[in-house]
Amino acid sequence: MTSASSSEIWSVKRLRSLIGQIGFPIMLLLLFIFFSAATPGFLSIANLAALAHALAPVAIIASGLAMVVMAGNLDISVGSIAFLSVSIGWSLLGLGLPVPLVALVIVVSGGVLGAVNAFIVVVLRINSLITTLGTMIAFRGLALELSGTNSHTLPDGVRELGNQAIGPIFVDSIIALLVVVAIHVLHQRTAYGRQLAAVGNSALIASKIGLPVGRVIFVAFVISGCLAGLGGIFATLQVGALTAFLGRGLEFNAVAVIVVGGISLFGGAGNVLSGILLGAVTFEMIRNGLNHLDANPYAYRPISGLLIFMAMYADSFRSRGHRRK
Amino acid sequence: MMAAPGLVLSNISKRFAGVSALKGVELTAAPGEAMALLGANGAGKSTLMNILGGVIQRDEGVALLDGHPLDLASPRAARAQGIAFVHQELTMLPTLTVAENIMIDHLPTVGGLIDFKALKRRTQDLLTRLGCRFDADTRVGDLGPGDQQMIEVARALSRESRVVIFDEPTSSLTEPEKQRLFGVIQGLKSEGVIVIYITHFLDEVFATCDRVTVMRDGMLVSTGPVSAHTVASLAHEMLGEGSLAGDIPTAVPPADEVILSVAKLTRARVLSDVSFEVRSGEIVGLWGLLGSGRTELLRALVGLDPIDSGSIRLKSSGHLVTVTPSQLSRSTAFVTEDRRGEGIFPGQSVEQNLSLPTLRQLLNRFGLVDRSRERSLADDLIGRLGIKTSGRGQDIATLSGGNQQKIVFGRWLGSQPTVFLLDEPTRGLDVGAKTEILRLAVEIANGGGGVLLVASEPEELMRVCHRYLLMDRGRIVGELGRGATRDDLVARVSNRAVDEVLQ
Amino acid sequence: MLLALAALLMAMHVYAPAFLSYRNLINVLVQSSTLGILALGMTVVLITGGIDLSMPANMALSAIIGGMFIQNGGDPAVGCVIMLASATAVGALNGFAIGYLGMIPFVVTLATMSVASGVAAWLSEGLSISKFPESFFDVLLARIGGVPISVLVTILLTIAGTWLLARSIFGRHLYAAGLSPRAARVARVPVQKVTSSAYVFAGAASGIAAILLTARLGAASANMGTDGVVLDIISACVVGGVSIYGGFGRLYNAALGAVIITVISNALNLLGASYFLGLVIKGLVIITFIFLDARGKNK
Repeated sequence: MTSASSSEIWSVKRLRSLIGQIGFPIMLLLLFIFFSAATPGFLSIANLAALAHALAPVAIIASGLAMVVMAGNLDISVGSIAFLSVSIGWSLLGLGLPVPLVALVIVVSGGVLGAVNAFIVVVLRINSLITTLGTMIAFRGLALELSGTNSHTLPDGVRELGNQAIGPIFVDSIIALLVVVAIHVLHQRTAYGRQLAAVGNSALIASKIGLPVGRVIFVAFVISGCLAGLGGIFATLQVGALTAFLGRGLEFNAVAVIVVGGISLFGGAGNVLSGILLGAVTFEMIRNGLNHLDANPYAYRPISGLLIFMAMYADSFRSRGHRRK
Repeated sequence: MMAAPGLVLSNISKRFAGVSALKGVELTAAPGEAMALLGANGAGKSTLMNILGGVIQRDEGVALLDGHPLDLASPRAARAQGIAFVHQELTMLPTLTVAENIMIDHLPTVGGLIDFKALKRRTQDLLTRLGCRFDADTRVGDLGPGDQQMIEVARALSRESRVVIFDEPTSSLTEPEKQRLFGVIQGLKSEGVIVIYITHFLDEVFATCDRVTVMRDGMLVSTGPVSAHTVASLAHEMLGEGSLAGDIPTAVPPADEVILSVAKLTRARVLSDVSFEVRSGEIVGLWGLLGSGRTELLRALVGLDPIDSGSIRLKSSGHLVTVTPSQLSRSTAFVTEDRRGEGIFPGQSVEQNLSLPTLRQLLNRFGLVDRSRERSLADDLIGRLGIKTSGRGQDIATLSGGNQQKIVFGRWLGSQPTVFLLDEPTRGLDVGAKTEILRLAVEIANGGGGVLLVASEPEELMRVCHRYLLMDRGRIVGELGRGATRDDLVARVSNRAVDEVLQ
Repeated sequence: MLLALAALLMAMHVYAPAFLSYRNLINVLVQSSTLGILALGMTVVLITGGIDLSMPANMALSAIIGGMFIQNGGDPAVGCVIMLASATAVGALNGFAIGYLGMIPFVVTLATMSVASGVAAWLSEGLSISKFPESFFDVLLARIGGVPISVLVTILLTIAGTWLLARSIFGRHLYAAGLSPRAARVARVPVQKVTSSAYVFAGAASGIAAILLTARLGAASANMGTDGVVLDIISACVVGGVSIYGGFGRLYNAALGAVIITVISNALNLLGASYFLGLVIKGLVIITFIFLDARGKNK
């Protein structure tokens, strides 16, 4: 307890926050260099395009989830929403509906399921974690009821849609990028986005100022649901079949992408564009790189779990500075 | 009925958990008029303004603006009817920019996207009007409390308003900032806006306001033109006659033995070089304004807030020994000003609330809490403190505030601490309960303990204290002896130039 | 709650007379015992206002670690200790991250859940670990007075736990920290220590559940801890009146909640409802009970 220590504490704090801010981009770069050097197949246009292809669904779903997180809530039902809304679409495809209409229906059903979450959270005032934990399992149950546990191969005309590409770049990568940019613009440059950030800072203060807190949160859940449906479409197309595993673990991957991307789980802080891209690329690169290293496929989950712990730790001391929950 | 122009609040009442906070209060203000609203802590002025701002809902009463009833169901509704509120507790959104904070509920848009140019221009205009130097694109979390307070004001001015409520707007402003704010208030008045101005600084009332309303204990005391008052008469009305209901035994003069010695305690931007001593049997009053560092000092002493430097020594087996805050907390009782948030455990019984810090003394030989000893401790304390309860099993949340506070206070008695830190222990209590709490403080001192007492009403301190430490901006700026009069103390409230008074 | 259980049993008696046989009831109790023990651990965590999603995955992981040890010729008793110890260690990790590092319980345990189930699948390579020596089953599947060991263990833990939470300093601190962490700090409750200990208890409960379930199934596998189990645990707790907002809840009620949830699952089976529909119904049960938990809403 000497007077000199106050300035030291200050500099340690700054160092920590600096690491918190640039630590992950640097780690990503190092990983990239490592995988490029260690494996011959990693650094090729085809592989990088495949990487961008594989991360498209989770990037789309994570963008929607980011809206909910920015508002200080959490939605872990996104994987199940993806599964259920695609299952609904699958049933309609069987009835002979045209593909674009089915796609639209899937996105809309995702939105409706998101609205169910929103209703429970906003109107019944139940904690979003518990709500979406319940609906995560309920929606999955409904989907299995609808599509069964067997996998259904997509019809020929539809299956090819998953592999459309412009030059080396897959179409779904482009759509994912468009979605992330759109959500980024929504968050940064619209009145709604700024009010969402305000609610995420503190719902109590936002309501004192006179913002429509309930409505802002409601819309965030609906957006998250729609994008879960959209992400579900691409996830299904990539596999070429509707399986009972669709969306399983997706909620976890989406949360992971958000945390590693520096979007604060305490709400209100983060950048959608750089965050989602950083997070999604990090995870997909590790998966892809481990494949090229011929690593045990089971190693991926423990490694990604460790990464999330580090990211959450960074988040907890970044957020501690300006508010407490 | 003729529609009177201006604001009329009539017969407003509000109860919290059965305790009356407002009892049929009246307030009127004409367009272009600045009305000062005064009262001690807990007098109900913030409650009244929160009702007008839609933050809380009234139980009874009428609210009219220009003869039309106001819909005050939510802050949003109040805002839509032209009521702007500059909150005392800053409502800042730290991760957003200054411009976004100010315009958050009416951001200018073009084709669905925010028009950042217009946003910046309009914000910059407001900031210039308020004389602020910082940029509209700065993140609010990076600004200090004074700047944030100006942003709070700017937000209220950003929309056309009929009524602007200022709740303690100057507590972290510098003198030039304050003067600019007064200029802005003059401007509002000339535009016909109704200004309601809450403050603890009585000199500001004379600088800015036309009329003044004084409240005490949830009731209206007086209302009239400022010109009919002096600082002294306002202080007198705010603080009352010092209702000396109930006897408090005089505290015996303290011994010479120092039991707590604090040297150069410092915490960046909150406390600087705080040094003082407390003797056995002594009640020391900490007198200062809200935000002067008095609460922060107590919290830092027991380790609830970190400290950057300084030393604490505590009497232990005959010697003063250097201790850390967490060590000090083991022989210290702490009662905070926030009874609901940091005092009671709602949903638990009176008994469990009383025994919590002393459970270790109640263990049987199996290491479990001995129920019969716990019961007798609870019954003993209930009797000794005169807690009115249907029994030790009653849920503490259902007791009155005074009885709750006696429990929060009394739970420490079992562990026989040497130092008591009491931060506004009588806040929100009625006169009788206040007396009983103060009587407890005297009992503790007479038993040889040392007491540091914070209170917002000089009367309270004067009833029990042996001496007073004066605090301002995180420093101890002076000391008054037992003989200090209320005017000596009140002088510090109404006049910030404390240094002049000191030799 | 007992009324609800009685009504449920009566209804079962009418629809499926076979249900109320002694054999079937013991069966239901055996099935509830694993869930009951997990619910005890979860209740301790919920009282602090947190949540532990990693319990089932933790249970599966420790069952596999201990199971592999026994399968490779290790002493079954030591194998059980390994299960308990590894599950407790994972709980301690959760507790440290949440109590001392100030991380969010929901996300921390979501990450642990993922890591634990990933490691479980990795170690077992997706297969189930079986072929344990008879001595392992002889002890754990024994009956005393016709009541299986697993049921007795659950009852004993429930009684002891309920009593300890009410009478020990830790128990009192737990409720205080869950009701109001700020007030608890002022009242000198070591909030960080108490919070992290809660997760250690949850870990230990997962370990005990792992031992009993491995014995009952005769095998350990990564499938022991699917996400449906988390829902069952939380259902048991909220049906047992444990508040997810912290500060309220009795262990014996959570254990009774586990019995009710098991009976409902059985009933749905007997009535021919699919497993998936069961999930939907449980999801609705949770949300309804939390909606009815008026105490939380005042916070």
